[in-house]
Order: sequence, then C-alpha cells, then structure tokens
Amino acid sequence: MSKRKKKSEQREAMDASSSIARQSWELENNIVPMEHAASGSSSPSRLGTSSSAPAAAAVDSCDSIYAYDEAAQSAIQQQKPWTRDPHYFKNVKISALALLKMVVHARSGGTLEVMGIMQGKIEGDTFIVMDAFALPVEGTETRVNAQADAYEYMVDYVQTNKQIGRLENVVGWYHSHPGYGCWLSGIDVTTQVLNQQYQEPFLAVVIDPTRTVSAGKVEIGAFRTYPQGYKPPDEPASEYQTIPLNKIEDFGVHCKQYYPLDITYFKSSLDSHLLDLLWNKYWLNTLSSSPLLGSRDYVAGQISDLAEKLEQTETQLAHSGRMGGFFMPSQKKKEVSLFVETKKRLESTIYVCFYQEESQLAKITKDSSKITVEQVHGLMSQVIKDILFNSVTPVATAPSFDSSGPEPMAEA
Amino acid sequence: MASSSGAGTMSSSSGLTFKLHPLVIVNISDHYTRLMAQAAATGSAGIPPPLRVFGCVIGVQAGRNVEIFNSFELKHDAATDSLDRPFLETKQEQYKKVFPKYDVLGWYSIGADIRESDMVIHKALMDINESPVYLLLNPAINPARKELPLSIYESELHVIDGVPSLIFVKASYTIETVEAERISVDHVAHIKPSDGSSAATQLAAHLTGMHSAIKMLHSRIKVLHHLLAAIQKGDAPPEHALLRQVSSLVRRLPAIDSPKFQDDFLMEYNDTLLMTYLATITKCSNTMNEFVEKFTTAYDKQSRRGGRTVFV
Repeated sequence: MSKRKKKSEQREAMDASSSIARQSWELENNIVPMEHAASGSSSPSRLGTSSSAPAAAAVDSCDSIYAYDEAAQSAIQQQKPWTRDPHYFKNVKISALALLKMVVHARSGGTLEVMGIMQGKIEGDTFIVMDAFALPVEGTETRVNAQADAYEYMVDYVQTNKQIGRLENVVGWYHSHPGYGCWLSGIDVTTQVLNQQYQEPFLAVVIDPTRTVSAGKVEIGAFRTYPQGYKPPDEPASEYQTIPLNKIEDFGVHCKQYYPLDITYFKSSLDSHLLDLLWNKYWLNTLSSSPLLGSRDYVAGQISDLAEKLEQTETQLAHSGRMGGFFMPSQKKKEVSLFVETKKRLESTIYVCFYQEESQLAKITKDSSKITVEQVHGLMSQVIKDILFNSVTPVATAPSFDSSGPEPMAEA
Repeated sequence: MASSSGAGTMSSSSGLTFKLHPLVIVNISDHYTRLMAQAAATGSAGIPPPLRVFGCVIGVQAGRNVEIFNSFELKHDAATDSLDRPFLETKQEQYKKVFPKYDVLGWYSIGADIRESDMVIHKALMDINESPVYLLLNPAINPARKELPLSIYESELHVIDGVPSLIFVKASYTIETVEAERISVDHVAHIKPSDGSSAATQLAAHLTGMHSAIKMLHSRIKVLHHLLAAIQKGDAPPEHALLRQVSSLVRRLPAIDSPKFQDDFLMEYNDTLLMTYLATITKCSNTMNEFVEKFTTAYDKQSRRGGRTVFV
C-alpha cells in the first residue's frame, strides 16, 4: 500500500518538476514538435531564433517526412537541378536515428577512422538523411578506394533493407575524424568529387567523436565539393576550429574546394515522446559523467600541439622582426606584398585590410581559450558533484534527512 | 528499476541484469514511424490499423550481464506468423561484419500486451540463442505516462496445472549509455543550439544540463523525505526494507572522502587553474603583440627605410 502511495507521490513530484523542466527547455530552445496535437505536456513555441543557430525542424505534417515518395524522388532525379548550380544544396536535415547511429559508430572506432553510408532523399535544396549504416572497412586516410571495396556490402544492405520498408536511396557517406576536427582532407575531397560526378546527389558528412565527448556537444559537419575548376565566390569565414599541426597543411590546401551545409535535426513524435521519458532514466548518467577523466589523452595532445604552434609562431615572428621594424603576422603571401607596397607609398592607408586572416598568435589564443573552457566546464561538474555528495559530515544523532547536501531541502 | 505493475505476469527470477541502450529504442521507434507513415501515404484515408513490426536485437552477453546495443528489422510472414529465417541470417551476417562482437540476443515487437503468437516466434528463435529476450514497445503516446513504455520479457519454464510450459516473465532493465550516445541523445532530445560557439552559450548549455539533472535528483530525494516524514508522523506504516535502504543511502554520504581523493581532486583543480592562467597569458601576449604592432606602424620614427613621416 505504501509502495503505491510512494509511486503516486513519485509520479506527482516527477510530474511537476519534469513538466516544468521540459517546458522551460522547450521555451529556451524553441522546440517545435512535429505534431499539432495540443497535449498538455508540450508547449510549442514558434519564436524566431535570435542567432543563426539551426532551430528545431518545423515540419508541419505529422511524421509525413518519414514516408518515401518514389514518384517524387525519381522526378527530382530526372530534373537534376544541381547540375546548374554548384552551390545548389544548402541544408541538411538529419534524423535522430541517423545521428545517433553515426555518432555511436564513430565513437566505437576509438582512434581509428570509420565510415558508413547515409540513406535518405532530396527535398528542394535540402538533403534529408533518414538513416545511416556502417561499412565494414577501415577507412584510413590513405585509401581512396575504400568505397569501392565496400560497394558490394552497400548494395547488399540496401537491397535487404528495401524488403523491410526502408525504401530510401543512398544519399551520401559519412566518416569520422577522431580528434582532429570536421573538415575534408585531400583524399576526402578527391573521393567526394568523384562521388559527385557519378553518384549525384551525394553528400559528405564528417563526425569527430573525440571532440564531441570532450566538448559535450556534437561535432559534425556536412560538405559538398565544388567541381574542378569552379571558382567559388568569396564566402564569409566559417566557424573557426582548431586543426592539429600535422594536419593543418592538408586542411589549408583544400579548404576552398568545398563548402559546408547547414545542419538541422528532426525526430518523429514517437521519438520525442520516448526521448522525454528516457530523460527520466538517464539524468543519472548526465550527473555521473566526468568528461575530465575521459578526455585526458585528448587534452594532453591538444596542449602539446598548441605548444608546437606557439614555437612556430615565435620563430616566424623572430624572422620577420629582422625585416625592419614592422612584422607581418599573417602568413598569406598576397597580404605581405600588399603590405610592403603600401608601406612604400609612405602616406597610403596603412591599415589596409591585412587582418582578413587572423594572425597566428590570435589563432593560438583562440585554441587555448577553447581547450581551457572545456577543461573548466569539466572541473565545474566535478566541483558541483563534490559539493553535493561530499560536503557532509555524518551526524551521530537522529537521522537528519537534510544532510544530503547544502541544497535547501525547504524549497517546497 | 523500471518494472511497472500490471501485465499479469510474474517478474523474472533468472537473475540476469539487462542493460538497454537508447539507440535500440530510437531504432524501434523509427521502424514503426516509417511503416506507419508509408501506410498512411499509400493506404486509405483514416487511421491505418496499428501495424506490428518485428525485429531482432543484438548485443553482448557477459555472464549475468545482458547488454543490448543495437537492433535491426526483420520480415514477418503474416500468413504463417513466423519470422523470415533466411532474411534474418543475411542481416545477421551483415551486422557481424561491422560489429563482430554483437550476438543475437532476442527480438522485439510493437504492441500494448504480449500475445499468444509471440510465444511461437520466441520458440523459433531459441535455436539461435537459448534464452532470447523479447522487447515490447507500446507506441501509443500517452502524455500521462511517466515511464518508458518498453518492457523486456524472458521466457521461463513454469509448471502450470501440472504441465510444464514456457511463459513470459517480465524483467527489469536499466538504461546504459556511452558518453557519446548520451551527448547525441541529449542533443536531439533538447535540440540545443549547436551553433552556440560563444563561450556564454556553451557555458549556459553545460550548466543547464547539470541543473536539470540535479533537479531530478532533488525531486526524488524530496519524495523520499516526504515519505519518511509521513512514516515518522504515523501516517504511513513503516516499511522496514525501505527504511533500511534509505538508511544505507544516507550513510553512504560523504560519497568519497579519503585523503587520496582530496589530493587528486586538488591536483586536477590546480591543473585546470594552471591552464586558465596560461590561456590568459597567451591572450595577454596576443593583445600586447597587436598593440605594439599598431603602435610601431603608427609612430615608427626609426624605420630603416628612412624618411617616414609620423603618421598622425
């Protein structure tokens, strides 16, 4: 009897706090549920976001995104609107399932790169990724033909899937860059250019599982390459990310050959419901996660990489210091010549825009701040847990229930 | 931890602990949604009849620990009410190539309650795994329910009316996540602004996550507190097992307090402080650098190029 009472009390307490928590979450993050059902538990808000953050998908029809329309898809295939504009595709929508599968697979590879295939469809200028599956190849950086090897597996898998209702086609591939960021390497670019020639429409996605765990948010990027010889219009610099020293050349050489797409996520109504309930179970894991302990190796690697970059900058600055009183922090050649030219003119605008590329030192500063911020976050969790569970002294007298921490139990 | 009342079955006594990964749950839900959406698109108007979908769950069984990692769909033959065997084997092979460590642990289906026909399918799977598990997901979205509508059943040989027969017994399970899984589930569940690269939004996101988790902890403790107060007052009959558990819980605090822990903790703390210090120094030197540069550019009187006027 008391168990039932306890359960109903539990349910009440959970009711109040979890619904409040969920509602405040939804308000803060502009969650737009996939259905119109005005159930008492969800509070759909359609506020426009102030920042350019990819908001939750606002698909109106209830879960219809999951239906596969064969006719419409083949019509799109016939038209091929992407052949006219290399910058045609702008957005990617990834389903909850695909994201989860890709991240778990990427993480399971540890420090090895893994790769897989994504299935989905096209809608206007958006790729919609419904599902993903892993390929049984070790996608190391040096194997351009890794996909050719796995082709048989892929075809087999897609065929089998068609029998159980997964009708979508292959729309792209994903692979992981454990620890060194989301971008396309030289080999990746070559592979993708090939893919975009023969398997259009195709998308490339890169996931970094190490940084995901260390930073506490998903590190993912979606890219499409420009065809050979196409000169892209000058784009605003994309979000800066740290690249380790040994990869930075590869990154720099190819970074202009592809462009990133915006990623948003969507989930079905059943998914939302289940995930909400899931929170009731895994809040435990949130509290008990210790990102500091897990990413020790990674952080150490980052710091040593930073130290190397710093040394490099130092020597570089020392050299340019000899060139007479002014030093050129930027590495770009054209900026250097421009700068020298203006200097020669003596009264020209000195402040020519030679800070388009940030100086090396500024980049290093950003990197160091980023690492530190992550560390501090991890430490904060540890300190909070310490306060919660450790700052207690066992009381010898009658059991005092408030001894579970300085949290005011009298909040009720 | 999750066993709810009802369902008219006994609870499992096999002593196996089940751990379920969220990926499986999302998989099953996606399978169901997909088929419903397709049926709705191609089928008649009105609500299509609830379909039953079937699939297989795979994972690792280590001794008494059963951990279910992943799942895949299966073809079901409605006529003979059995699973398509060759299909299962093909899929199994495919998954073995990518995840060599996972074995078939059981199967899943959708519905509100177990049915007679389930036992048939269950028995058919027993040649792959001698004690398969059966996951049942209830797809009805009921906002009043606060528990996961997922139940795990095992089969046990019981003697009923003198006849030994296999029946389903419910088993309890816990949710287990790897860190990466938790982050992505969190991400999709709350759709955090992934573009918040500024330190402020990151900090806010991190702390809010912690806050929600602590709030949950707090609410559970409050419930216990109320119960104990009620028992003290005499409103509720004292239950000794429960009281023992609560007492042991309270006695477990402080959680870990050895001097070694303090040392390690402080060392970690100091390391982080050192990092912050270094980062600040780097930032400082960068600002200095830029300043000096601008200064020399503007006021440089000793340029070797000669003849530069002061830039005013």
